Amino acid sequence: MTDPDGPSGTATAVPEPPEKAAGTRGRRRALRHPLARFLLRRVLIAVLLAWGITVVTFVLTNLVPGDPATANLGQRALGDPAIVAQWRQDHGLDKPLPQQYLIHLGGMLQGDLGVSQQSHRPVSQDLAETVPATLELAGAAIVVSLILGVAFGVVAALRRDRLPDHVLRVLSLIGISVPTFWLALVAFYVFFYRLQITPGSGRIDPGLQAPPPVTGLATVDSALAGQWDVFASAVGHLLTPALVLALYTIGLLTRFTRSAVLEVLGQDYVRAARAKGLPGRVILFRYVLRSALVPIITVAGLAFGSLLSGTVLVEAIFAWPGVGQYAYKSATTLDLPAVMGVGLVVGGVYLVINLIVDVLYGVIDPRVRLQ
Amino acid sequence: MATRSQTAALLVVGALALAACSAGGVKPSSAPQSGAKTLVIDTSFDLKTADPGRTYEPTGLFVGKAVYETLLTFDGADVTKPVPALAESYELSEDGKVLTLKLKKGATFADGSPLTADDVVFSLTRVRDMKGTPSFLLDGVEIAKTDDTTITLTSKAPNPALPYILPNPALGVINSKVAKEHGATTDAGDKAEQYLNTASAGSGPYTIESFNLSSQVVLRANPKYYGAKPAYDRVVIRNVEAATQKLNVQRGDSQVALNLSGDQVTGMPANLQVKKTASANVIFLLANQDSSVSKTTPNAKFVEALRKGVDYAGLLELAGEGSTQAPGIIPSQLLGALPQDQAAKRDVEGAKAALAASGLSNPTVKLEFPSELTVNGLSFQPLAERIQANLKEVGITVDLAPAPVTTALDNYRNGKEELGLWYWGPDYPDPSDYLAFLPGKLVGLRAGWKDGADKAVSAAGDKAATTIGDEARKAAYADVQTKLNASGPFIPLIQPSQNIVTAASVTGLEYHPVWTVDLADLGAK
Repeated sequence: MTDPDGPSGTATAVPEPPEKAAGTRGRRRALRHPLARFLLRRVLIAVLLAWGITVVTFVLTNLVPGDPATANLGQRALGDPAIVAQWRQDHGLDKPLPQQYLIHLGGMLQGDLGVSQQSHRPVSQDLAETVPATLELAGAAIVVSLILGVAFGVVAALRRDRLPDHVLRVLSLIGISVPTFWLALVAFYVFFYRLQITPGSGRIDPGLQAPPPVTGLATVDSALAGQWDVFASAVGHLLTPALVLALYTIGLLTRFTRSAVLEVLGQDYVRAARAKGLPGRVILFRYVLRSALVPIITVAGLAFGSLLSGTVLVEAIFAWPGVGQYAYKSATTLDLPAVMGVGLVVGGVYLVINLIVDVLYGVIDPRVRLQ
Repeated sequence: MATRSQTAALLVVGALALAACSAGGVKPSSAPQSGAKTLVIDTSFDLKTADPGRTYEPTGLFVGKAVYETLLTFDGADVTKPVPALAESYELSEDGKVLTLKLKKGATFADGSPLTADDVVFSLTRVRDMKGTPSFLLDGVEIAKTDDTTITLTSKAPNPALPYILPNPALGVINSKVAKEHGATTDAGDKAEQYLNTASAGSGPYTIESFNLSSQVVLRANPKYYGAKPAYDRVVIRNVEAATQKLNVQRGDSQVALNLSGDQVTGMPANLQVKKTASANVIFLLANQDSSVSKTTPNAKFVEALRKGVDYAGLLELAGEGSTQAPGIIPSQLLGALPQDQAAKRDVEGAKAALAASGLSNPTVKLEFPSELTVNGLSFQPLAERIQANLKEVGITVDLAPAPVTTALDNYRNGKEELGLWYWGPDYPDPSDYLAFLPGKLVGLRAGWKDGADKAVSAAGDKAATTIGDEARKAAYADVQTKLNASGPFIPLIQPSQNIVTAASVTGLEYHPVWTVDLADLGAK
């Protein structure tokens, strides 16, 4: 018996053992599953995008009219060709550009993001310290945004053209319009300096001993270590920058939720539910919000991206040691490995968020579920 | 049963209470020790490493000074006379080529092991031969151990600057045994930096508790320090933007703010101490002498018009109280600095006359400067704008060309700027550092001033470089600067003020041109 799909030149095909054949068939079936195909497609796109990010960051960093050696060495050292040559050799800048790129790419494929020219440490080590700080800040901000933004949007829609609606619309407009860096400065001045109700800059009080790093999130690590005073300090330090960062997203979500809820409220099935005498709470949560959630989730996914870019300035003002500050410093000193590392991480976060949003569409709305 | 609004209110109150507890400075159980004195210092980091042999940034030198000790040091802010540190005495030979240092007895590293002459030789050789940023400090210097307590440093040419170079924290002595175990070598293959970024291998009054390049460095008093015990048990140095530094120190969240501008320290509350000292950074204008770069700026009369056209008093006003005019390129703190009465003064008519004598009619020049760089909190943009307005009155049109620092530095370094606005801070507090401004030297070339372009200035520089003895050196460097001011392409402008704000409880703080602050000098009341 020959296998029609077997490679040409195969004289006799050896039949697969039954259990192996069943395994192969199982894998093939699994790959034919729409969700598996969807995920596989997403992973392939992610790989392509990651490669694109490396190309763009490499080209842009090398197009900038400036020399990394100038940005990293002192004035005197720059006057000594031996020191400059040693520095270039240490950082692989003595090689032709295509070779430099291939070395970076080869390293990345093996999980090595290179060594930062600024910190002289592996970029992955720098990112392991800075990324959790930013994720903690952005994560807190997005949670606050989702809770407040959706709640405000629903209230505004249910009280359409009445006082709460007018007030919330004005507030959301302010949230969208006010520049984040200005808001951060004002919030720090008012709450920390004037009212003295929030703690100062950084992630915890300087007099406290940081908890042993497990997740890199100060709140979680302090709770895991049972250091409750540090936990209280970490939550306190997180509040103001997270709220400042969240304000834009709250404004955005309020407006989108309001319009989405208003649209659903006018649908026949909502009227029918009302006519059946269902309680208002049931109508809101089962009929209205569920339908309105699709556009809300789309906006929330996009908003998370804007939160990441907003962290650069907020981190600077609140002395928050996150990836935003690291990215800024790396970009201004033409630290290529660090810039590429940050690019990959931010790109990766976007891809993951988009994937989550796509999966959530299917969970919320059966009409968009994959067949 | 609580309603939802009551629950929400409880949550909000709880969150505020957490923030308030944290803000109110509740005595923490995770505080390192009860009763331990902690000092919090806010500064803008430019930190790259804690390895003394690779350190060259202000924050790094500041940390290095606390953790490592050098053979010589300076007493407080006085940089005119090196004094013993790890060396109990030193002597420079009459020809200025051999510096002999006698080691102090009883010095120990933080692990308790004794500090030896071998550690000194290894540390200095490592700095010289690793080809890191501070390697130039010991370029051409032979380091040898004569006996267990004597070190000799031999230079091929007279090197009277060496005693002023040795206090640089980059030349801190490391525990060679520990460092070698972690990859330290005396060549470019050295691998000890990673270890030295996480642990102390020094003999200074503090050790490293934690070191994070982007957020904070925590130092702890060295329990085995053989000298006077420092006043603070723990020092937290945080990376904070200047605007936030101001609020932190005013609120009491930190006790020292290092990077405030003149405007920011105006109107500080009476319970804070404000120290305004002219920094050792000299901001200057350079007029390129290379005719392939500019047809205008090599003209000597044009340079004279620039020198007379600038309103120095106006620039000082911008820089704020504590700033001072720079009469020469050597800052006021250093040996050989010119007295204030030799500082240039504005003379608009004289500038117009010089411009007329130059033969240039309504010249237009491009002024390049780093757009985002600040020196002691002072930005270059307002200075450039003021110079532009000053020179407009004289008849010179200045086109401002700000650029990001990496771009601007490239042009400056390659000698491509027609007119440049830059600053120079001392690598070591000796006037010989400023010989870089002579024709054919590092900064001279950046102004297109090639070797042999001004033989009188070069001769004066050669003489100053080999002169021995403080008084003779003072006169020699004054002569160099007078000649440089008369015919050179540089126009020294100002030394901006270094403004340091401290809580009333902090005592003994002195601004130092090399390491900013010596933590060992700080006291508490």
